[in-house]
Amino acid sequence: MSLSQAARDRIVNEFIPRYPSKRAALMPSLWLAQEEAGWLGTEVFEEVGELLDLHATDVASVASFYVMFHRRKIGDRLIEVCENPSCFLNGSDQTHARICDRLGLDAGHGGHGMQTTPDGKFSVRPTECLAACDYAPVVQVDLRFYGPVHEADVDAFLANMEAFSIQGKPSVSMANGPQAVPVEGWETHAPPAPGSAA
Amino acid sequence: MTQTPPAADASIQHGAGQPLPWEPVLMTAVGRDGGRFLSDFLLRGGYQGLTKAVREMDPDSVIKEVTDSKLLGRGGAGFPTGVKWGGTKRNPGPRHLVVNADESEPGTYGNRYAIDADPHGLIEGMLVCCFAVGIEQAYIYIRGENLYGAEVLENAIKEAYAAGYIGKNILGKEGFNVDISVTRGAGAYVCGEETALMESLEGRRAQPRIRPPFPIEVGGGLFGRPTVVNNVETLMCVPHIVVRGAAWFASIGAPACPGPKLYTISGHVNRPGVYELPMGTTLYDLIYKYAGGMKRNQKVKAVSPGALACQLLPGTDLNVQMDTATLTRPPHWHPPFGPVGFGAGGIIVYGEETDIVQVVARAAGFFARESCGKCVPCREGTHWMQDVLGRIAHGHGRPRDLGILEDVTRNIGGRKTLCALGDFSVNSVASALRLFRPEFEAYCNGHARSTAAGSGVPVAAG
Repeated sequence: MSLSQAARDRIVNEFIPRYPSKRAALMPSLWLAQEEAGWLGTEVFEEVGELLDLHATDVASVASFYVMFHRRKIGDRLIEVCENPSCFLNGSDQTHARICDRLGLDAGHGGHGMQTTPDGKFSVRPTECLAACDYAPVVQVDLRFYGPVHEADVDAFLANMEAFSIQGKPSVSMANGPQAVPVEGWETHAPPAPGSAA
Repeated sequence: MTQTPPAADASIQHGAGQPLPWEPVLMTAVGRDGGRFLSDFLLRGGYQGLTKAVREMDPDSVIKEVTDSKLLGRGGAGFPTGVKWGGTKRNPGPRHLVVNADESEPGTYGNRYAIDADPHGLIEGMLVCCFAVGIEQAYIYIRGENLYGAEVLENAIKEAYAAGYIGKNILGKEGFNVDISVTRGAGAYVCGEETALMESLEGRRAQPRIRPPFPIEVGGGLFGRPTVVNNVETLMCVPHIVVRGAAWFASIGAPACPGPKLYTISGHVNRPGVYELPMGTTLYDLIYKYAGGMKRNQKVKAVSPGALACQLLPGTDLNVQMDTATLTRPPHWHPPFGPVGFGAGGIIVYGEETDIVQVVARAAGFFARESCGKCVPCREGTHWMQDVLGRIAHGHGRPRDLGILEDVTRNIGGRKTLCALGDFSVNSVASALRLFRPEFEAYCNGHARSTAAGSGVPVAAG
């Protein structure tokens, strides 16, 4: 695997002129390289480095900082389940476990690593907050967001992910527009405010 | 047809006295067909702020207007935006603008919806800033996970270039040139820290810089130039300030830090989501009036007012006003760790069924994984917290572990680290220890809760 001519052209003609220093084109260049190959290998580090006047080890050290740059081959589809508190409170651990179970992976393997199915079709790993907590538990598949995917939804989700897509959807609270509207009858359901009103 | 924001309403007050309905200022695009496109933005009064600034005002009066509005940065630090702009302008050009759209704080997600719904609202705010401060190069740094948002922004930038809002001699103003581009991160929480973000934008590992020099100074900013780093929501407020005036803005909500605020609320509430309300809305109103109360009618056990980087508020403290000024002053101040903090307004609500030890163990794991590794207290300490809390959460805690935890938190927190990530990594842990110590003790004495009832969360989770 090496960079296509089209990718090289884009790096030289689009990314490098965008910034006052060549090095700054590194992030978009690495993204582009990963889009082409699915992951980033030593060859790519050398090739990108040549275009940006950087040593390959320098490129590799930057790539290794960011969890979204893969330095080995991963499955065709990458499934990431948020495990931060908002999703955790809504059962994301169970979602993660069920997804792993359905794909024949061991959810309880511990650690924070990525697991890939033997046929190379799926990789699964827990991830940090995806900033869609109103749709918790949230699952990210190949940089697209889906939710809420509860444990009981996993089979339906794996069969038809698009049904769970939240890309471009407004927030749960904004189904009827941008106005923050009090819940009807909230006073009767809510416990009295502690102390006197502020 | 046009949905220009309503005129100033002198009767608007903060908290429970807020008259309804509150007219949203920032999220007017939601629910409109094609709200994210330029054509709809113009129908909503878009680019009027920029036009007014360019045609009727001079750069210094724009900065004065923003300063007078008392707009505080919405990213978490709460620095006065006008002061930052003025400070940057005092330093020689070329200067840069960086938009921090690396929203990664667990529980915070207002920026994502704001960008999705109204990318031109952000671009207009950026252009007003560029006009006021004298900037020709502006960069949006958006977190890598939010590919959709990056695409929405790229498309909006193309539209704005084609229509002449970005480019050379904008709106016919000789010499007002701005270029805007989008750079995607690749999964690093620390990039939300402004100097780490700039390192990443420059193509390096995202490790925070030593200050001074500060970003607004020569040598401290992006590519060594004086740089304004602003949050998405902050910049989206700016065109409205220009159009309707500083006095209007300053009259909304909490007097010390006024304006509309995109509160995001999640966790054990029935209707999580983004709520645009005046700064200073009470936690009680947010949870019960707007977010539909608690799941399964449970009581509130605790709240993270600004997500994991803030200290926990006890469930008895619901009358607190949710704003930067209130949550950074006594009595919301707990030495040696400092203020509870408001962050970017990402509220996580924990019901009484929550096993707080598990939550805190998770928070510690998060900060350990996201520590950049540059300075010692954070690099070593966050992992130490993770190890000890992991041990406790798995039921292998020892009584002396709580002392170790306290010791570690005191040696990371309290301004001992280069950036706020380290400083704030202890906030959840230290405050949970203060508020819920018996639960930790139970774990350490072999009496861990068998499950966090109702949420179905097993003890060994994680």
